[in-house]
Amino acid sequence: MRAAVKQQGKLSLGWLILLLILPVVVGFVALGIGRIWIAPPDIFSSLVTKLTGGEAVSAQNDMVLWNIRLPRILLDMLVGAGLSGAGCAYQSLFANPLATPDTLGVASGASFGAALGILMGMSLLGIQGTALLFGGAAVLLTWLAGAGKGKGLNTIVLSGIMIGSLFSALVSLVKYTADTESELPAITYWLMGSLDSANFGSLKLGAPPILIGLILLLALRWRLNLLPLSEDEARSSGVNIRVLRGVVIVCATMMTASCVSMCGQVGWVGLLVPHICRMKFGNNHLSLLPASISLGAVFMIVVDTLARSVSAAEIPVSILTAIIGAPFFIILMRRSGGWSL
Amino acid sequence: MKIAVENGCFGYRKGEQLLQNVSLEASDGELVAILGPNGAGKTTMLRCMMGFLHWKSGRSAIDGKDIRSIPQRELWRTIAYVPQAKNTSAAYTAGEMVLLGRSSRIGVFSQPGAGDVQMADQVMERLGILHLKEKKCSEISGGELQMVLIARALASQPRILVLDEPESNLDFKNQLIVLETLSRLAAEGMICLFNTHYPAHALQRAGKSFLLCKDGSSIFGPTREVVTEANIRRAFGVQAVIGEVETPENVLRSVLPVGIVPEDWNEMEDAVVRSIVHKIASITILTNDYGMAGRINEILHRYSELIIGRMGMPYKKAGVYFITVALDGTEAKIHALGDALSLLPGVSVKTVFAREEEGIELYG
Repeated sequence: MRAAVKQQGKLSLGWLILLLILPVVVGFVALGIGRIWIAPPDIFSSLVTKLTGGEAVSAQNDMVLWNIRLPRILLDMLVGAGLSGAGCAYQSLFANPLATPDTLGVASGASFGAALGILMGMSLLGIQGTALLFGGAAVLLTWLAGAGKGKGLNTIVLSGIMIGSLFSALVSLVKYTADTESELPAITYWLMGSLDSANFGSLKLGAPPILIGLILLLALRWRLNLLPLSEDEARSSGVNIRVLRGVVIVCATMMTASCVSMCGQVGWVGLLVPHICRMKFGNNHLSLLPASISLGAVFMIVVDTLARSVSAAEIPVSILTAIIGAPFFIILMRRSGGWSL
Repeated sequence: MKIAVENGCFGYRKGEQLLQNVSLEASDGELVAILGPNGAGKTTMLRCMMGFLHWKSGRSAIDGKDIRSIPQRELWRTIAYVPQAKNTSAAYTAGEMVLLGRSSRIGVFSQPGAGDVQMADQVMERLGILHLKEKKCSEISGGELQMVLIARALASQPRILVLDEPESNLDFKNQLIVLETLSRLAAEGMICLFNTHYPAHALQRAGKSFLLCKDGSSIFGPTREVVTEANIRRAFGVQAVIGEVETPENVLRSVLPVGIVPEDWNEMEDAVVRSIVHKIASITILTNDYGMAGRINEILHRYSELIIGRMGMPYKKAGVYFITVALDGTEAKIHALGDALSLLPGVSVKTVFAREEEGIELYG
């Protein structure tokens, strides 16, 4: 009889364990990959000595593992999980398969903030702070411009595009006035997205907004199923749909702005990973959201590890997300015969 | 339980009156049809009634309590809304969709539990759509989707069901399935209100009807008094004949549109009115089940004000019992009596009206 009441769309135990373990395992292996190859057993023994406080086997390995690679892999996980969770939420919120974390202009706003910070010669943490600030400001502007009595969600999407292009133009303006020797390359490089600035200091500022957003969205995951319904249907569920929408927008904005503030614009993840998950898990957020978050983290670790180890010079990560992501996505789409939102 | 609209007025723009002083009322077990031509504001009426739109004046009330003073969660445990099937597009499976109907009974941060899943399954089984559970809503037929949406509404265990054109866009069989479902739910005590384009469906199913005209005027009352040839002519601008079709079990009423009324015709007409045509008629009742005589007498007693004479005769040899009553009353009431009698098992009923000049008086 127990099988009879099994709920559709709920993750099976096997998938749940896999989704929990996969990012950890992939992250563990990725710790060893780089210019200095460290085999998993060595990582493990280094971890044990670190935890038990024993004598380090190799001081150099320890330095590379725990001060350089670990923060970077943690950042990969956070950014991957955050962007793909936010993308998933936005797609459902706007009932629009093309929605991305940048739909409301967060990323453009944050980019402008960062460019401004670089122009003013701020420290890395200062740049992160201004990026966060302007990301939030952009969404606030979008909201003020598009929301109102009797206006649909499409108005907000449109005003998001407008505010986004406004901030893109401002970024160009900053670039135009920037010093071509030092500031302009820094801005350009930052905009292409890079995770090499990862350290525990920036994580301390950037991680909480992402984690809080993720936890809130996960707690609300069954409620998110109401988002794509029509207005009257959603309201007749007895749930305060306006508050729900507001919470989702705040969470997704917070997560995206924080990601962009730490590593610049990493395109594609927020569009790609949720759609791959929709093909496999369907549209029920009970499983879709956890899957998007976990696989987003995995995808980002893989792509970033390639970005930093494939060639001597690091490849900007958003180039790789598209080069790896697009063909993979197309193959999956053709094999699964499409899907719908 | 009782839901009522009291003197509701509404217009989308200032100065425009789409709905003028509309009133209706429905209590437990009543099936109410809301009729009107395209653009008269049937859907607006429903949306105002449920509080999606706010009345400019007047109010909607449940058991005398203004709908706007009832907390949303509580309100939507009492009322459930079934939207038009074409307006929904989310690609969930039917099972997931029905389970969403439990939203008003599940905490904000919780997920549906085994009880909720069982409830959803039960509702789907009752409506005969359990086999659709694993199918995607975007891949089932319009009739099936409509049933899924009704199931989703019922999953919240409401007392009042509001449906927006549940049977339009459906073929004959699916229309019957949906209407049968509504009749069954009403018989079980649910209050059902539905918008419809078909006066015939109101006549066949609804005890009460609400008829809305393009000019914002409306009437509400027993279907027999509201859905008349004269009112259809005024509200829809269509000359129609209300006919009866006898089946072995029952007499069905249907509305046959025969022509469009010329525009200038309307100007000579008053507002829609409830029909209170007085008629002289006789009803002949035959039954071979003597046990039914008691039930028949009970019903006749309820309508005693109409009866001007009666005759009863047992014919033991053939085991048949004859009853004939002579009646004087409004056409609607005479029909209502005929309907009540014909619902008894093993009873044949025939109503015959005396020829008479047609006359219409304003009600009340």
